[in-house]
Amino acid sequence: MATLAACGTTPAAGTTAAPAAGDAATAAPAATTAGEAPAASGEQVTLKMTAWDIATTPYWNAVIDAYEAKNPNVKIELVEVSSAEYQDKVNIMLSGGDDTDIITVKDTPGYSAMLTRNQIVPLNSYIEADKLDLKAYNGATDELTYEGKLYAMPFRSDIWVLYYNKDLFDKAGVAYPTNDMTWAQYDELARKMTSGSGSDKVYGTHYHTWRSTVELPTVQDGKNSIITTDYSFMKPMYDMVVKMQDDGIIMDFGSLKAGNVHYSGVFKNQQVAMLPMGSWFVGTMIKAKAAGEATFNWGVAKYPHPEGVAAGTTAGTLTSLAINASSKHQDAAWDFIKFYSGAEGAKVLASTGNLPALRTDEALKAYAALDGMPAGIDEALQTTTVRLELPMNPKVSAVEQILNEEHELIMTGSVPVDEGLAEMTRRVSEALAK
Amino acid sequence: MSSTQWSNRAQSLSSSARHSRLKRELVAYSFILPNFLGFAIFTLIPMVFSLVLAFMHWDGAGAITWAGLSNFADMLKDETFRISLINTLYYVAFTVPLTMAAALGLALLLNQPLRGRDFFRTTFFFPYVASLVAVAVVWNMIFHPAMGPVNQLLSALGVDKPPRWTASVDWAMPTVIMASVWKGMGYYMVLYLAALQGIPSYLYEAAEIDGANSWQRFRYITLPMLTPTTFFVSIMLTIASFKVFDLILVMTGGGPGRATNVLVVHTYNMAFKEFRYGYSSAIAMVLFVIVLVITIIQFRMERRWVNYM
Repeated sequence: MATLAACGTTPAAGTTAAPAAGDAATAAPAATTAGEAPAASGEQVTLKMTAWDIATTPYWNAVIDAYEAKNPNVKIELVEVSSAEYQDKVNIMLSGGDDTDIITVKDTPGYSAMLTRNQIVPLNSYIEADKLDLKAYNGATDELTYEGKLYAMPFRSDIWVLYYNKDLFDKAGVAYPTNDMTWAQYDELARKMTSGSGSDKVYGTHYHTWRSTVELPTVQDGKNSIITTDYSFMKPMYDMVVKMQDDGIIMDFGSLKAGNVHYSGVFKNQQVAMLPMGSWFVGTMIKAKAAGEATFNWGVAKYPHPEGVAAGTTAGTLTSLAINASSKHQDAAWDFIKFYSGAEGAKVLASTGNLPALRTDEALKAYAALDGMPAGIDEALQTTTVRLELPMNPKVSAVEQILNEEHELIMTGSVPVDEGLAEMTRRVSEALAK
Repeated sequence: MSSTQWSNRAQSLSSSARHSRLKRELVAYSFILPNFLGFAIFTLIPMVFSLVLAFMHWDGAGAITWAGLSNFADMLKDETFRISLINTLYYVAFTVPLTMAAALGLALLLNQPLRGRDFFRTTFFFPYVASLVAVAVVWNMIFHPAMGPVNQLLSALGVDKPPRWTASVDWAMPTVIMASVWKGMGYYMVLYLAALQGIPSYLYEAAEIDGANSWQRFRYITLPMLTPTTFFVSIMLTIASFKVFDLILVMTGGGPGRATNVLVVHTYNMAFKEFRYGYSSAIAMVLFVIVLVITIIQFRMERRWVNYM
């Protein structure tokens, strides 16, 4: 009990004091190093953890079951928070002093909001004590590091790829998308694949209403960031997509928005030949095929890239785990997080059709061997560089709001591309200067 | 009996009367208590807290620090605040009169001895009790820019480029206003129907004998007799319209861009997306003052046009 009480305050103080304060601060994490702190005492610990879509997402319980089997004295209880308002609700929970131990971090704005308000604790002292090698995460942990401290461990990492409908390509007699395509070649291919009219119309490709679908390719070359004070670099990509929309190569943004159309529907109904989307959609498609909702053959290719950028360069998102600063079982929480984001968790995650952040060979093999995986997926999923969808920044929420608004204006044709980008530049500059 | 005895008697009587009055009041208070407790916990205390917060900086987690009037000064520089204030006024300026006109029109129609009158009354009242999210989804489908029946009808009628409704900066607000009028009119129709049935028929009979035509009867009897209801409806509608939030959030999310961003949506974004609780409370306070001032003006104007008979 004494250790637990001491731990409660350790990480918060430990962030600055851990190296200097020595004994008191480091002793506590050291106790967990052996991984036996909770087990040794034989004390029953119940950890609570936030999650979304528990019923439809198999991996939550799969990993928990694996952990509980190894640690019979620990019980993990999932706290369901609705997916659409996940981060808003978690923030309100934390503001209200909720002591849920493990907080699943869904996106960068949420991560940024929680860490700047000290609601989650830095994990550096734990990582040092356990001698975790963060290099194995291929830079994912660097993306989450803020001012030298890491506040969450990534467990799932999704990348953007290009899905395509093999049957539609076969019917049109066009070669499948390759793993080394520039955006210009992709544009050409999309135009080739557009055919028919009315209810028989097949669109060459599909842009979901998210801002990221158009904006991510603009930062692939690594020269620019989504959070910046000059957005003119996005012009070529916006021009390309707006032109596709005007020419009827893709579905109209306003219609998609008004109809609240989900991308999975249009792909499953064979209305589009290609779909740039995140790797999380692989699991959805496997399920859809198994359930008979989708009857065609589909494939995955690497995300196209700008001219002069290596194939395999893509954008990604991280889903990670953090420890609530108000948690009473921070050491036990860390032990679970270490398991989840480590090699064992990665294997369980991969076997449920999700890409773990820790890409061990074993996990990737388990992933590619899953029933219904299209051939060649392992190659398509190999990346050279992955850029985080949204970089860490304390102002990220305000910036994202502005980008979403201006994206909507450009895509609904309310303003020309140049004007929309100029407004982004002006408004984001103002927001960052505040 | 001596006079002292009488006065003692009177004294004891008055004390027992006072006692029973106190008891009555306590009983009454105890009936109010559960409701008042709920009101205090969920409305009064948060309101006072919000009032205090308007003069503070708070991110929802850290310390609350004194901000003075800086939150209010920030509003002057906040472009989105200005846009959402204008949008709110735009929404109120059209929603209130249109809903009143629609409700009154329906009430007049359904006050006639029509066949199936009860059916129509229920039909027009139905949107008011229907789930707002469902209503918003249905409206988005009706006004879908490509597949919606409205635009298909317009195209069939030869309109070259029908409006793109919620996908258009210029048409998004009118679309939301239409949906709002449609949803709200049934409730106010019921209020008007009750008022119409309260107008004594001898007034109409007398007017008819005097040779008044139907317009004159409407203009000089019906409308003046309805003014108390109109007054009540206008106040309720104004307050409700300034508070519009859910319908906009579900139908347009404040977009495209900021075309339908209203004050409550801005308040929500500031509090729960950017964690500026103090600033958000200050905006809420401004909204409160606007509604208060308009309601006071409405009450001041009351005696000029409202006719209580």
